[in-house]
Amino acid sequence: MTVVYLLIPAFLLLASVFGLPLLRYAWLSFHADSVLTGLQPIANDGANWLRLMHDQRYWQDLIQTLRFAFASVGFELLLGLAIALLLHQPMRKRGLIRSAALIPWALPTTVMALGWRWIFNTPYGPIDQFTSLSGISLNILGNPSFAWIALVYADVWKTTPFVALILLAGLQSIPNDLYEACTLEGASSFTCFRKITLPLLKPYLGLAMTFRLAQAFGVFDLVQVMTGGGPASSTESLALYAYWNALRFLDFGYSATIMIASFVLLSTIVAFGWWLMILLNQRGSMAVTE
Amino acid sequence: MKLKSASIILLLAWSLAPLLWQLYTSFSTDQALVTPFETMANRWTLEHYRSVISANPPFFLYLINSLFVGILATLLTLIIALPAAYSLSKLSTTKSNLIRIILVGCALFPYVLLFLALLEIARALSLGNNLFALALPYTALSQPLAILLLGSAFTSIPPELDDAARVEGLTLINRFRWIYIPLLAPAIASTAILVFLFSWNEYPIALTWISETSKLTLPVAMARIAGSSIHSVPYGAYAAATVLGAIPLILLVIVFQKPIVSGLTSGAVKG
Repeated sequence: MTVVYLLIPAFLLLASVFGLPLLRYAWLSFHADSVLTGLQPIANDGANWLRLMHDQRYWQDLIQTLRFAFASVGFELLLGLAIALLLHQPMRKRGLIRSAALIPWALPTTVMALGWRWIFNTPYGPIDQFTSLSGISLNILGNPSFAWIALVYADVWKTTPFVALILLAGLQSIPNDLYEACTLEGASSFTCFRKITLPLLKPYLGLAMTFRLAQAFGVFDLVQVMTGGGPASSTESLALYAYWNALRFLDFGYSATIMIASFVLLSTIVAFGWWLMILLNQRGSMAVTE
Repeated sequence: MKLKSASIILLLAWSLAPLLWQLYTSFSTDQALVTPFETMANRWTLEHYRSVISANPPFFLYLINSLFVGILATLLTLIIALPAAYSLSKLSTTKSNLIRIILVGCALFPYVLLFLALLEIARALSLGNNLFALALPYTALSQPLAILLLGSAFTSIPPELDDAARVEGLTLINRFRWIYIPLLAPAIASTAILVFLFSWNEYPIALTWISETSKLTLPVAMARIAGSSIHSVPYGAYAAATVLGAIPLILLVIVFQKPIVSGLTSGAVKG
């Protein structure tokens, strides 16, 4: 008996929010569609793509986005692993502690982005108040060399719980007798961690890394509310640049070009991530797909 | 063990300190915020909460809007994803794996890149400034996660049960009503809470679809508060808004910690 038709509504929805937009972007990227054309699409022979090639701001934003994504995800994996190892231990009030650890992840990004703006505020935020006691003012959000680090910090704070939970699932999948055997052999707990935990955790690390990299690549809410892309567009992400182009400069053709180009770049990164994951999977015994 | 307790305290401090700082800020007078190291008579105030609550439109309206969109999107997602997940579990391994890969690809996609096309759709179909309509993209964007989570739950139901029910003459709808939904209640709860959290927190689509102040959802309203600085140091009011905006979610996380954790972790194991 076939019940495939039950999938149709879901796939129609998916096609309308994923398929249709990407096709539309691909088409729009070969058209001028801005205030100058009266917001009517007019074919322009790849002028958008040529502009993208020479758009310094785009390449700078790309580097900024990648820098942000790799720094955030790197710290999230390290810290997430530490938290997962901690949460895996038996402890009293485990439920409550897990809830507390989850709160940063559950809060809307914009809500805490506003909070971070205050915490990093110069001269009234707590960080600047304390550093200025010793006569130093870092002016974190006003300094192009520091502002992106504040963003990374805020992102690490928010998404580490998510990474920790995925890794916790991995830890829980490792049978306990492996550790018993390991300690019976007289190995130190660090050796057991290196020889058992890490290899068996690799697929989960790969999964968390791929997922987080893809999401961090599209970072938008945090940047828009916390720094607005500034100072001097030093923290501007690709998504934010595309957003400015569409809603501030009303240049839909170019905005679509930025987004389809970002999509292609991201797909390449994710494909690479998956390839890496499959490679790691062959060594771990855990199958990530059923 | 000392080390463990210390790590737990460190973890709690790391997670909660920024929130506690917001709480502290929200009760401090502007004067206290500007000069924190001076002693003063008027250290504490409720003024920030008063100004946020009495703003026009009142703050709780944003909570209601978010709640409405969240519940609507969650219900719609389940109505569409449950049958789809069932169907996925009945397909051959090759086909269902292919569909799973497509779904994982969609789940990975940073949906913020879709906002422009979605905005065009909203304009073409006049879906802007409508909270009912806003639930539609949320429903669509939630499908990958929901189908993957529910799909793996469906495969845990023994096929004999399904066959027996069919032999007894139960229609598909009755099998859902009497067998699948009760059996899958934990997975459904996990999915529902994750979808609700996504809809409640969603920003870029709400930002571009909704412009009328009275229809804003909480994340957009918060960002707007950030953009409209009337006072020289409006951070007290910001902080009060942050605290009020955070409370419902903190309660939600405490109450639904188990389904959230199991949703995220089973997503990791089986996705």
